[in-house]
Amino acid sequence: MKKILLLLALFLLLPASSQAWSPSKDVTVIVAYKAGSGTDTGARLLAQYARKYVGQTLVINNLPGGDGKIGWTELSRSKPDGYTIGFINLPSFTTLSAQPNSTFSVQSIVPIANHLTETCVVVVKANSPWKSLNDLVNACRESDKYRCSTNGKQASNHTAAQLLANSAKFSYKAIPYGGTADQLLALRQGEVQFSCAKVADVAPLVSGETPELRILGVFDTKRLAQFPDVPTLGELGYYKEWYGSARAIVAPQGTPKEIIDFYEEAFKKTMNDPECVAAHEKAKMNLDFKNSKELGELIFSQLVFSRDIVSSLFKQK
Amino acid sequence: MPDTLVLVSQGLFHALSPINLLAMLLATVVGIVIGCLPGLSAAMGVALLLPVTFGMDPATGLIVLGAVYCGAIFGGSISAILIHTPGTPASAATAIDGYQLTLQGRAAKAISVACIASFCGGLLSCLSLYCFSPLLAQLAMKFKSPEYFWLSLFGLTIIAGVSSKSMLKGLMSGVLGLLLSTIGMDPMEGVPRFTFDFSILDSGINTTCALIGLFSMSQVLILAEKQIVKRSRPVDFKDKIGVNKSEVKRLTPHVLRSWIIGNIVGILPGAGASIACFMGYNEARRFSRHKEEFGKGSIEGVAGSEAANNAVTGGSLIPTLTLGIPGESVTAVLMGGLIIHGLQPGPELFTTYAGMTYTFFGGFVLTQFCMLAVGLAGCRAFAQIGRLSDAILIPSIFLLCVVGSYAIHNNFEEVVIMFCFGLLGWLAHKFGLNTAAIVLGLILGPIGEKGLRRSLILNDGDPSILFSTPLCWLLIGLCVFGLISPFLMRRMEKRMEKQMETPLAS
Repeated sequence: MKKILLLLALFLLLPASSQAWSPSKDVTVIVAYKAGSGTDTGARLLAQYARKYVGQTLVINNLPGGDGKIGWTELSRSKPDGYTIGFINLPSFTTLSAQPNSTFSVQSIVPIANHLTETCVVVVKANSPWKSLNDLVNACRESDKYRCSTNGKQASNHTAAQLLANSAKFSYKAIPYGGTADQLLALRQGEVQFSCAKVADVAPLVSGETPELRILGVFDTKRLAQFPDVPTLGELGYYKEWYGSARAIVAPQGTPKEIIDFYEEAFKKTMNDPECVAAHEKAKMNLDFKNSKELGELIFSQLVFSRDIVSSLFKQK
Repeated sequence: MPDTLVLVSQGLFHALSPINLLAMLLATVVGIVIGCLPGLSAAMGVALLLPVTFGMDPATGLIVLGAVYCGAIFGGSISAILIHTPGTPASAATAIDGYQLTLQGRAAKAISVACIASFCGGLLSCLSLYCFSPLLAQLAMKFKSPEYFWLSLFGLTIIAGVSSKSMLKGLMSGVLGLLLSTIGMDPMEGVPRFTFDFSILDSGINTTCALIGLFSMSQVLILAEKQIVKRSRPVDFKDKIGVNKSEVKRLTPHVLRSWIIGNIVGILPGAGASIACFMGYNEARRFSRHKEEFGKGSIEGVAGSEAANNAVTGGSLIPTLTLGIPGESVTAVLMGGLIIHGLQPGPELFTTYAGMTYTFFGGFVLTQFCMLAVGLAGCRAFAQIGRLSDAILIPSIFLLCVVGSYAIHNNFEEVVIMFCFGLLGWLAHKFGLNTAAIVLGLILGPIGEKGLRRSLILNDGDPSILFSTPLCWLLIGLCVFGLISPFLMRRMEKRMEKQMETPLAS
């Protein structure tokens, strides 16, 4: 009986699946950062395993420049035929799209699925006198001489430091270093007293026998499974929302729904593939699948954040 | 210590497995080809092969990446020597004397010298990788913002060395380069400067793009200006490939010096091979007994530059592996590779994962031999390019320039930038300005600017921070030495000439 039902189901499904869209040639994946960057490595890792479920090779096309502007402009102008998809970074994408004269907006892309999520944390050197976030806040409230390294003026990690400073009502000196690696190097060298960065960038420096850095707080609504002893900012009465970055897969505007559905399903399967999961764990990348709808909500909330909160954050300066 | 020795020999033994050797050889060849082609840099080569290594055994994968890196850095010298087109920015200084050698029909000689110097530089840098990793890593941590400012100033003193004809014009070229380096996003304020709303300029002028324009495209224009005639075949190679005893004696001190320079520059994040090659070249010139040959085809110049840039390879691996701080873009990609293979840079690489790390080191040593073999075997064939008629050569270089500058980011606007720099290079040639000095300004400008402005913000605008550490004073000393020595040397030379009466040149 079961077999017959299965056969029946198969027959019913066959015409449906032959109608459903699937790519018949290589798919181009636009990455708006250069080959070898964090986004690129993540994209290549996923593309490697997605091949099995997409049925075609995913060819990464790096279009770096202008902090992502060039690649994302190209992505939003690509032909919506399902043969060009791309990666966006949140909140960078929404921040840029909220700028005047932006060449793309959140309407120029269609969400497919979220790939990675990274939460922001507050870090100090392991030998810092500040043992807790309150130590840091109290010291900074007394004096505004303390320095914080950032990955660029008004860049993602500067925004994080600003969120903390505004919610805890202290002022500090932000020193831009142009990139997360340099920003953390400055902290390790002792050029600055504290820093805010994504947990993946910090994790290797806080573990091991002689950790170099110490995490004081997490920009999230709940504690991180990886660091259960570290309190959230909200617990201590500071910034209460999640703040971090996400990397997601999107298609250019006008891409038909059946194509979006196809990729959503394909990437869902990819991200549940044990080999793919193991590879991400090995690379210490935080896989976080969100479907098209959930990703759309995330993009919207990030847009609101970029447009309303970030713009007022830096105002008093 | 005996434990380490066991690990080292085990690593070397593992690296000798047939699959590793095969992978190494193939990757070296791929690296050389990628390095040869202008626009395809070492970083891009490593990034392109990174996904290929996902499926490999981690050690093999890392050996492949290391081999591509070394191969590409050497490969860049081939096109620099033959067609005055540095395949990667790391070979910019090689083009100065290497191309002159080609014009004299000594291309094979130049390539073999470049190959041997690269080999020595690479091999010596492995030595520091094995022996001095922790020590040198500490030095990298000592370099803070003020030190970077002084380092870039010291780099700029090289202008005095490369501008042999007129110091004034050399300085003008350097300042022009510095001015051009201010185009792009302001590193402190994050606002665009001098971009005229061209988004392509937001990230500044791409160095590779500028290099292709200044060195090769300008060469095309200069050559095309002359009536294109079938170039009288340059002298058949009189030179033997390889180096004879007296040349070994001549080159050894330069290679050793460049090794130290390359190594130290290599471990500093953000400096990299493009600066090291100029420094190596300049120091070779400073201490050479045959200064008159520099700029007119000196094998010492080629060796000084090439040994330095390959010494960077081992050097830049040190902070990448021990501290997780990549020295330049290539090692940043390589670090991505490490992480994907589940190896977290840091002290654990030398304890928990020591087996794999030492296999990688072993592979790195063997790669140098692969590079030497491939380079020497191929240099006669490569050199044939130097004998092509201009009628074929000019359009080919033109094509390479366009394709190369497009390949950097798959962006046509950068081809336009390349053309602008080609024109600038041609004009510079007309006015006797120095293209190498322009490139130096372009490379060093951002490092110096960031170092200075960040230091000042850190210290509330008080410049005393620039003189606050012993390392600062050491670098200031080097700057002063760099500025004064050309004059001192010239005076000494004159005195020597008077004494000897007979010139040294043969």
